[in-house]
Amino acid sequence: MRLRRTKLYLPGNNPNMLLRGYLFKPDGVILDLEDAVSMSEKDAARILVREVLKQGEFGECEVTVRINGMDTEFWRKDIETVVPCGIDGIRVPKVESPKDMQILDEALSEIEEKAGIPVGKTLIFCLLETALGIWRAYDIATASPRIAGICPGGEDLRADLKTDRSETGEELVGPRRIVVLAAHAAKVDALDTVYADVTDDEGLKRETQWIKQLGYQGKSVIHPNQIPIIHAVFAPTQKEIEQAKKIVAAAREAAKKGLGAVSVDGRMVDKPVVKRAEYTLQRAGLLEGGE
Amino acid sequence: MKTAQAGTLESMDCLVTAGEAEKGRGISITMEGASVARFGEAILKTAKETLREIGVKDIKLSIQDNGATDLVLKARVEAAALRLLGGDRR
Repeated sequence: MRLRRTKLYLPGNNPNMLLRGYLFKPDGVILDLEDAVSMSEKDAARILVREVLKQGEFGECEVTVRINGMDTEFWRKDIETVVPCGIDGIRVPKVESPKDMQILDEALSEIEEKAGIPVGKTLIFCLLETALGIWRAYDIATASPRIAGICPGGEDLRADLKTDRSETGEELVGPRRIVVLAAHAAKVDALDTVYADVTDDEGLKRETQWIKQLGYQGKSVIHPNQIPIIHAVFAPTQKEIEQAKKIVAAAREAAKKGLGAVSVDGRMVDKPVVKRAEYTLQRAGLLEGGE
Repeated sequence: MKTAQAGTLESMDCLVTAGEAEKGRGISITMEGASVARFGEAILKTAKETLREIGVKDIKLSIQDNGATDLVLKARVEAAALRLLGGDRR
């Protein structure tokens, strides 16, 4: 299980952010060719992002690129440019159709094959930014084995829902619940949208606690200052860590002895619980990140 | 003279202006910026290599540098040249 607590957006035409973003230690970076880049700069940003991917440093971050939407003329050129650089995944905006994800999957396979990259390596993260996209969340999440996460939209989704931002975020409660349900049904990550007010740390903390409780694995961020706040919310408690250590140790012991079943404190523990415990230790920084 | 630009004057970036040159006139490059005194040679080398990679033989470039790393310079030179001459030469 890879940690995806925070994914930092980096504007695709800004060398300073592209080159330094990883230094703030988010779990992932998103090099953005879409909304952060004006129409007149799409070409220059694509070239810059390609060079940064080829020669830049990203530390331990999962590296993804947000491409332009499949309803634009840019998306194919975007993937042809960035996928051969060997990125971890692409983030696709305004996904509404499972069929589009199959088309994208095939296009990615072709590019990977040509570039000598294992076919299927490049993951897909879908942004569901319209009512239709949210409604079809499960069908989209299961449209390709490459899909690793789905995310509800923010402002675009509000506009499509014919509403606007409220203090409580009431308007996105339903969509967030649908997305988290669809994500876990499809066995992909549920990743939340950004918290737009970068000066409101308390608000960010509250929202992160809430989406964590709903079952989300993380959140996109637009400012480095948001990263430690979100990581702190996702950090397990000491009690959770101790319990997880026991479970993981027992599972390893059982595996060594060739036993299928694991017992902790006199209770049988099954595989999902062991996985969950490993995830807890990863979040605590006590176990190397997995898949 | 037809010109095209790419990049910005923000920190860690550079602004590259490309202008048409007559066929056979080769590549001419002028540079400005605090880093030119120390890194002028390296900037020149990267710019020329980039132009060679995309098959551009005749062009005038003006580079205003504000601390661009090698890879940023390369990206901006390519973008300016392609904007001037059109097409994708890779």
